[in-house]
Amino acid sequence: MPQPPQSLPLRPRRGFVAQPVVLTGLAGGLALIALALASGAHLLLVLVLACALAAVTLVQARRARGEAGRLRAEVAQTHVEVADGALTLPYTSVLNALPDPVMVISAHEPDDLTGRRFVMVNRAGRRVLKIQREAGLLVTAIRDPDVLEVVDEALFGGLEGEAVYETGGVQERIFRAYARPLGASGDGARLALLVLHDETDIRRVERMRADFLANASHELRTPLASLSGFIETLRGHARGDEGARDRFLGIMHVQAERMSRLIDDLMSLSRIELNEHVRPLEDVDLVAALLDVVDALAPLARDKGVALEVETPPRGAVTITGDRDQVIQVAQNLVDNALKYSPAEGRIRILLQSDLSAEACVAPRMEPAARMSLLTPDHGPERFAALSVIDSGPGMDREHLPRLTERFYRVEGQKSGEKLGTGLGLAIVKHIVNRHRGGLAVESRPGHGAVFTAYFPLARTSAEVGGAPDEAPDDVIKLS
Amino acid sequence: MNEHIVKAYEDELNTLTAECARMGGLTEAAVADALEAVVRRDQQMADSVVARDERLDALQADIERKAIRMIALRQPLANDLRRTVAAMKIANNLERVGDLGKNIAKRTIVIIDSDPMVPLTRSIERMGRLVVTRLKEVLDAYTASDLERAMSVWSRDDEVDEHYNSLFRELLTYMMGDPRTITACAHLLFVAKNLERIGDHATNIAEIIHYEITGDEAIATARPKTDALQRP
Repeated sequence: MPQPPQSLPLRPRRGFVAQPVVLTGLAGGLALIALALASGAHLLLVLVLACALAAVTLVQARRARGEAGRLRAEVAQTHVEVADGALTLPYTSVLNALPDPVMVISAHEPDDLTGRRFVMVNRAGRRVLKIQREAGLLVTAIRDPDVLEVVDEALFGGLEGEAVYETGGVQERIFRAYARPLGASGDGARLALLVLHDETDIRRVERMRADFLANASHELRTPLASLSGFIETLRGHARGDEGARDRFLGIMHVQAERMSRLIDDLMSLSRIELNEHVRPLEDVDLVAALLDVVDALAPLARDKGVALEVETPPRGAVTITGDRDQVIQVAQNLVDNALKYSPAEGRIRILLQSDLSAEACVAPRMEPAARMSLLTPDHGPERFAALSVIDSGPGMDREHLPRLTERFYRVEGQKSGEKLGTGLGLAIVKHIVNRHRGGLAVESRPGHGAVFTAYFPLARTSAEVGGAPDEAPDDVIKLS
Repeated sequence: MNEHIVKAYEDELNTLTAECARMGGLTEAAVADALEAVVRRDQQMADSVVARDERLDALQADIERKAIRMIALRQPLANDLRRTVAAMKIANNLERVGDLGKNIAKRTIVIIDSDPMVPLTRSIERMGRLVVTRLKEVLDAYTASDLERAMSVWSRDDEVDEHYNSLFRELLTYMMGDPRTITACAHLLFVAKNLERIGDHATNIAEIIHYEITGDEAIATARPKTDALQRP
């Protein structure tokens, strides 16, 4: 009978040593976990492998006690029946608590595709891979050819391997997938461990840095050139001209303010993008947030002679899961935009509707008009609250709609009033809404106005949270 | 799913689904890589996409052969027949998607020859990501037998079309502005068109999933086309 590996490939970091873990078994594994938890999150890989080591050690111990035959029978039946409880191991609750997805895969023949099954997935794995069951066909969980290849190598070649795994979708996550051979079980079924380590943050920081530099250098050049031009003039032939000096200083002031607004917006966009895959957790009273924004912008609207009409449910009636400051920023940017493009004596309707399906959120609010969804949330059972800002401005032609949330995209021939916008407002809105797993849609009819609708998933009531598959208490996963 | 008395029969059915899922994974990767090749101007990546297409063709032929064999030997009925036929049809669609991906990759060589046009490649990237996402969602729906998820892809076909129309205008503007860009822009236009057609194939697959699960074929004609997007 092929023996399971004596020690798993482990990459000790910060001086952790692999070998003692095998010797001390489960206790050692748990101690290592405690240590790793204390030492910081980047030791997760060590932690995960320690758990697997503990598993193998325990399995070995059982074998030594003469249970080899029974184990063999159970492994042979993995896909039919999960163990009857005899092999219910306490460390699985530790695996379940891990933030990184972990999966044990079994297979028989290299050319038998249906033979490759996952026989254990921890909770993070089920969430990331969107699978409900603890066992099933491997290809139903992961299709990525690179990952499947390293898994095959671990299963049949006994090789360690790693690959990049991108989940795709609106909230893209990037993982490094580590495949490790776990040897063979009695009846010839081969086992491998697959660990996904989240590298989204690292990749994002890299991309953000590049994007920020590219955008900042490009967009700041124009006002900067204008500033240095005026400085040159003031030092040169306009040196003694009092009137020109005042005028130039005025322009320079406006340009400097524009630069500073631009930098503020770019920084805030970068911050939002960095956290985009981290869903906010607070409960936010959407009505209160919206009314705050309306109050703050009311003087501006009065000065411009624009009427703000607000239709919302009463305060406290609409609660979403979100980040209050960011939700306010969404409302503010949308109303601000509407104000900028509204003519004097125009009117802006602000509409808040609650408990809608995703389809109802993008239902027409202006007829007839061109319509476009700028951001659609991943499919889910959520109900949404939709905030629509309806203006009576010039509107936009249909061809501009898909590009509205691009950074620095401007609709030709339109000016956003004296106060120049940065061209980042809607990009910020889109990224915030995406972080909230919501959506954004636009309707527009040239000459009549535009409607922007941002919708957010409603906060789940406590009863719903208990019943949701993600949070369902499943303390014990059985390894068979 | 009901278990069959003959286990080999069940296994064969599962194999068909699994092969389709694997082929789907390869196709997704091919499209994503072809897009990356265009956006990052990466000739090596483009070559690898072209080289991998043969594998997709072979897989498609294999799935078709297995499905035909299944129909001939097991004479599946109802549910099982639909599963078999759906696997065959989906493999066909995926093979087409693979070809379109390969075509995108092939155009990279001409596009690389010209000067970079950053705003254009950015628009292509946005459209491409949307298409890749739709392909992924529909394949997720297939492996999970999730009718609702498939229908959410199906009902949002117009988003890709909108991107295509917008890109079309953008490309025209570029070509009129500087005739030297015409060669590269024409190729980019084909890239966009290919992406748009990949989106159509994703919609087709959603319809096949609907047929597989419900047995109802009428949906293919029921799509609300661009009804909600009438020009004002």
